[in-house]
Amino acid sequence: MQPTSSMNKEFLKKWQMGLQIFRPSIDNTSVSERKRAIKLSADVAMASLRKGTTCWSRALIQKTASEDNFLVRQMLSGIKEETLINKKLPKVMCHRKIVRRSKKILMRRKSRSAMEEVAAKAKKLVKRKTQGLRNAVPGGEFMSNNVLLIQETLDYIVSLQTQVNVMRSIVDAAAAGIER
Amino acid sequence: MLEGLVYPESLSLSYADMSVPERLKGMQQHQQIEVLSQSSNDSPELLQILQFHGSNNDELLQSTFSHFQMLESGFGTKYNMDFGPSHEAMDGCISRTSSCQIDPADTMGVMLKNSVESRAISLKNKRKSEVKTREEEKTDKKIKVEAETESNINNKEASSDTSKETSKGDSEIQKLDYIHVRARRGQATDRHSLAERARREKISKKMKYLQDLVPGCNTITGKAGVLDEIINYVQSLKRQVEFLSMKLAVLNPELELAVEDLSVNQFQAYFTNFPVVIASKPSVMVDLPLFPLDQQGSLDLSVINPNQTSIDAPSASWETQSHSLFASVLR
Repeated sequence: MQPTSSMNKEFLKKWQMGLQIFRPSIDNTSVSERKRAIKLSADVAMASLRKGTTCWSRALIQKTASEDNFLVRQMLSGIKEETLINKKLPKVMCHRKIVRRSKKILMRRKSRSAMEEVAAKAKKLVKRKTQGLRNAVPGGEFMSNNVLLIQETLDYIVSLQTQVNVMRSIVDAAAAGIER
Repeated sequence: MLEGLVYPESLSLSYADMSVPERLKGMQQHQQIEVLSQSSNDSPELLQILQFHGSNNDELLQSTFSHFQMLESGFGTKYNMDFGPSHEAMDGCISRTSSCQIDPADTMGVMLKNSVESRAISLKNKRKSEVKTREEEKTDKKIKVEAETESNINNKEASSDTSKETSKGDSEIQKLDYIHVRARRGQATDRHSLAERARREKISKKMKYLQDLVPGCNTITGKAGVLDEIINYVQSLKRQVEFLSMKLAVLNPELELAVEDLSVNQFQAYFTNFPVVIASKPSVMVDLPLFPLDQQGSLDLSVINPNQTSIDAPSASWETQSHSLFASVLR
């Protein structure tokens, strides 16, 4: 599923709303301040499009809320404000060294045929990649199973695509304006 | 040994309507070919993979490399049974034989069910396949492997064909969705393996969608490679967002977005036909002159604002420029 024009429009509207909040304090003379403002409002806009149905959107809003609580509260002035900001899934903390050591011991006990070894290595590789994906997707650590993870990445990728499309067209329009 | 096919997807109404003895009869009399409709661009790949599956019947299924099966595993299993692969591709549809008949004198002594299934066109949001495990005496044991809800589910068919399930399935299609899994030949049929298999089917289906979404993933066959590509794609999209926001911050010190005062039809034109963002390609609108990033705000940025703040008096050349921009987008 590709980003549709209605998604683009909604994103743009929300993004503009977010930027409006920054506009009064326009003495963000430094480029980095402005960039931060743009990026944060774009992220919240993208996440609010999902209206809290997906895990990544909630996690993203929480992340930006930790950076700029005021912005998030203003942008999400609706009902979901509290639920979004406070909801969190428990994260399982593993002491990695201990886990690794016990895994090694287990592996020693098991019989090792050639095919099993290859399969085990392949499984390990896939596990590593899924862990990488969890790090890439916001809120990935809270997704308990792989099915959910893949669903969320699907949605996240589509939303990222809308975000990038809209931002790119804005930038190009601005560039065209300046060129003139 | 019990046999069956794995169908992660929905049933047809005709299947749903048949009762158990009718199905047996149908199976004994003729073999039915079911049509599996897929998106058309998948069909050449699927044909290849069908043949691949057909040749590797049991070993493939039973090996631990089943992890890497990217397809719905029920595909090619029956091909080397009592009949040759009798499938035909029709306009992007792939048909597969759903069953075969086993001689009662067979040592396994299993009767396979003949199921008629026709698939809805979109693979998305369909979650029904039936669990049927059959013993020699043809008793019918249904295993409800999973109940699952999906927010954007799109069920078209009645859920089941036996009285046990009808009431539940029909009324709660939206809320409660049973995943029906059929065990294949040579595979364990206890609940746990079935559940695991159903889970794996789901995951591989979702991975297929991801492969369609991420450009350049179609060629990669292993799960690890596809995941790698996905990770790279997500990270590149994130980096693009950073870069674009920086660029916009440089271009636009007043944080004003150009579109907000455009008229409605320009707005529409602006957003039609947005191409998919491809990581490797440079900016889509290649015919626009690139704005050098090192040009700082001392440039005549005041030019932008009067043009953008009033639709009544935009300078003509700016409008023509943006029209050419829209035209290039609409391409």
